[in-house]
Amino acid sequence: MDNLKTPELLPGTLDMLILKTLTRAPNHGYGIAQYIQRVSEDALRIGEGSLYPALQRLLVNGWVRAEWGTSDTGRKIRIYTITPSGRKQLAAEARDYGFTIAGIARVLEAT
Amino acid sequence: MRIWNRIRFWSARARLDRDLADEIDAHRHMLVEQFEHQGMSHGEARFAAQRRFGSGLSSREQSRDEWGFRWVDAVARDLRFALRMIRRQPVLTLAAVLTVGLGVGANTAVVSVLKAVLLNPVGLRDPGRIMAATVRFDQLHMAHAPNSGVEFRELQSMTDAFSEVTATEGRAWTAEVNGEPARLVGRDVTPGFFRVFGQRPVAGRFFSSDDRDSLVLSYRFWRTQFGADLSALGRTIVLDGKPHRIIGFAPPDFQFPASAEAWAPLVVAPERMALSNRGNNMTLAVFVRLRDRITPSQAVDRVNRYVATLKAPDSADGREMAKLGYFIDLESFARFIAGDLRRPLWILWAAALVVLLTGCANVAVLLLSRVAGRKREMAIRLSLGASRFQIVRQLLIESLFLGAFGGAFGLLIAGWSISLLTRVSIPEKALLQQAALDKRLMFYGLGLALASSIAFGIAPAIQLLRENQAAAMNRSSKRKFQDLFVTAEVAAALVLVISTGLLLRSFWAIEHVRPAFDPNNVSTAYFIKPKNDPGFLDRLESRLASSPGVQSAALAYPVPFSGGGLTSMFYIKGRQRQPGEPEWHGEAYFVSPSYFEALRIALMRGRALAPSDSAGAPLVCVIDMRLAERFFPNQDPSGQEIGMYGGWARIVGVVRAIRATTLEADSRPVVYYSLAQVPFFDQAAALVRSANPGGPLIREAVRQTNGSVPIFDVRRMQDRIAESLGIRRVVFVLVSVFAAICLLLVAVGLHGLAAQVVGERTREIGVRIALGAQRRQILAQFLRGGLVAGSIGVLIGIGVSTYAQSSLSSLLYEVQPFDILTFIGASGAVMLILLFAVFWPARRAALVEPQAVLHYE
Repeated sequence: MDNLKTPELLPGTLDMLILKTLTRAPNHGYGIAQYIQRVSEDALRIGEGSLYPALQRLLVNGWVRAEWGTSDTGRKIRIYTITPSGRKQLAAEARDYGFTIAGIARVLEAT
Repeated sequence: MRIWNRIRFWSARARLDRDLADEIDAHRHMLVEQFEHQGMSHGEARFAAQRRFGSGLSSREQSRDEWGFRWVDAVARDLRFALRMIRRQPVLTLAAVLTVGLGVGANTAVVSVLKAVLLNPVGLRDPGRIMAATVRFDQLHMAHAPNSGVEFRELQSMTDAFSEVTATEGRAWTAEVNGEPARLVGRDVTPGFFRVFGQRPVAGRFFSSDDRDSLVLSYRFWRTQFGADLSALGRTIVLDGKPHRIIGFAPPDFQFPASAEAWAPLVVAPERMALSNRGNNMTLAVFVRLRDRITPSQAVDRVNRYVATLKAPDSADGREMAKLGYFIDLESFARFIAGDLRRPLWILWAAALVVLLTGCANVAVLLLSRVAGRKREMAIRLSLGASRFQIVRQLLIESLFLGAFGGAFGLLIAGWSISLLTRVSIPEKALLQQAALDKRLMFYGLGLALASSIAFGIAPAIQLLRENQAAAMNRSSKRKFQDLFVTAEVAAALVLVISTGLLLRSFWAIEHVRPAFDPNNVSTAYFIKPKNDPGFLDRLESRLASSPGVQSAALAYPVPFSGGGLTSMFYIKGRQRQPGEPEWHGEAYFVSPSYFEALRIALMRGRALAPSDSAGAPLVCVIDMRLAERFFPNQDPSGQEIGMYGGWARIVGVVRAIRATTLEADSRPVVYYSLAQVPFFDQAAALVRSANPGGPLIREAVRQTNGSVPIFDVRRMQDRIAESLGIRRVVFVLVSVFAAICLLLVAVGLHGLAAQVVGERTREIGVRIALGAQRRQILAQFLRGGLVAGSIGVLIGIGVSTYAQSSLSSLLYEVQPFDILTFIGASGAVMLILLFAVFWPARRAALVEPQAVLHYE
């Protein structure tokens, strides 16, 4: 499934970004994508094509919950909420990510 | 938790899928609104949203993968796809299913018989621990003979090797069953019998040493006669006028001997066990159970060492036994039971396997040709991102489907042919009847089908993988593969055809042996002589003779082709054996005077037996030409005296020698006694020559003469002769059927392959013809290609046959295993089929119209 990769993001980081987004407030898919794009100042653009598979993965793992709700425009939408185990997962992933980034930085800055 | 979630999601995936579609749709609308808000037109906005999203379908598909078991979904998808492919190609599917079905069916049927007959004939838990003892006198050409009481006692005393020893004796009782006199078949057994076979009673108990007139019923008999009612325990059955008490019931799967309905206690009289009675009264079948940790070969050693001590040269007895070549043989129970059936059944199994392998090769070629046709589909799927593994999986699943259908069909065929096999009438049929399609056999059949489907599915898959590596399988390696296929198929078919040919020639030879009497229109039936009815035999014979349509009637014991005459030693008055000459052995028949007329046995000298040769009159006999020529060459034996049964009997006549045991071999010298003068036996048979069916005639005559006389083994003489061919007939018919199937498969397979090759090369042929090649050359080239590979196959087939025929030789009659005529004939036939199969496609190649081909391209 080579085409699953999100070229703009490091593999595995999309899950982390979604979880992080949801720690602020429950949100729907469109909102999550908008938020990440806005906060990263357009540096990170979520391909909607990979957003939904990632959300399903988080659901299956029990890291987020989903409930049906209605949008401001009266559309039926699904609102995602982070669960306690999702928070734990986010912490672990963020720590790992920190280590990785620090390692990469050390290699790049080595003279 | 995760697994549980997955299962939950996976099971709800249809609803989730709808939800997701809604959700994605909502998202897209929001995007569109956003873009419109940023100033795009509605169309532009929709297009932009579309682009951002990629294909909504693929997003959904990937999401679906997240819920759960990707491979389950993938396999389910493959299965659906495979079913569709299979439906779309009904001819290929039908061919594959039929091929696998025939192969698996034949195999499963044969294995069911193998299992019932060879591996575990009576459903024992540990058949390997049970051995059978038989007596052999090399000097008398006597082997596999039953034991006398002496061997039983001696084996019983070898407690270091055997934990249990039993002696048994076949019995047939006259019993009253449902108010009708019936013959009950069973066995007298010593108390150790059921312990030797490790059986426990279903109810009641088995014999102890105090039991006399008690009876253990077989499960089958208990069920059919008493409805498996426990209240039958303790009831009595009158056997031969003596009440027997029912003390127990054997388990359902224990059927030994196969025909046994009941067992009664056997007490071997002490005088029978006296040393001087070795070789006398040899009627006991003896079975032993090996002690723990004693191997069969150790047991054989133990017995051989003992027999060697018996032959001590310092005693007259010992020297006598050494001279006679006396041995006690121990063999495994399965071998004892199966005897002559072993080899034929293994041959059948091998033949069925050849059919299956041929079939697999065929299906492989069919699938290969289809892979060639599906290259485009595969290329598209590869370029769309399918992995090679996925495509191979797809192909394997398709062939597994074919295998599963073929297996199911094969089990149908197996069930049908087993029921056919168990109805075959041969002496060993009681054994064959135990063959059944049980659960384990079904697994075997299905397993075989799936294994073969993998075998033939893997070939196209490998080719596909290979083609991916190199642009195309190069032609020479492809040619090699095709040649290998042709060679193997031709060789396999040839082996079967040669075997069939040899068997056919044997049958031809046997069919043309005349038994030297006229069996046509003769019917026979055995009955048990009533004890308190003097004159019964005379009244029965005259009633038979006066029955409507009867030309002649006679009584005899035994009748020809019902298991052989009564072999016995004989003496001639005033004559001594030459030193070193083996004992004189002959067969005795006890017949009424009209016997020779009824069977049309020609009288050569003197007179036949007469009604005046009755109980009180001087003992006389008639001998056959074989005895006369050997012992009285160039002289009239009339007036000489022979001692065999009941003292010296004066020879009054000579009749033609007949074959009375098997068609293949001359019988031993025969002495005919008057049935009235030697009333030793409790049964006899009636023979009638009549235009109408004789069986009912005899039945009616016996019933009218004495209503309490049971009658059994009612058979036409011709059927008896046919049955004497025994398992050979079954093997012959089955091997012929297998050979026919195999030939058909080979023809279809070769034709399919040739057609495929021609199809692939149509363009090349067109070009060559356009460049001036002769059509004759094209035709010759294709035929030559097939014939060269075929010839190698023929050589291999002849080689394998020559090697394998040694196992067939016991089934052959007056045919040398390396029979030139059969080998040449069979090779010719197979080559002819090869030619025929290749000719049409080759002809089509030769008739290719270059314009048509080149335009088409």
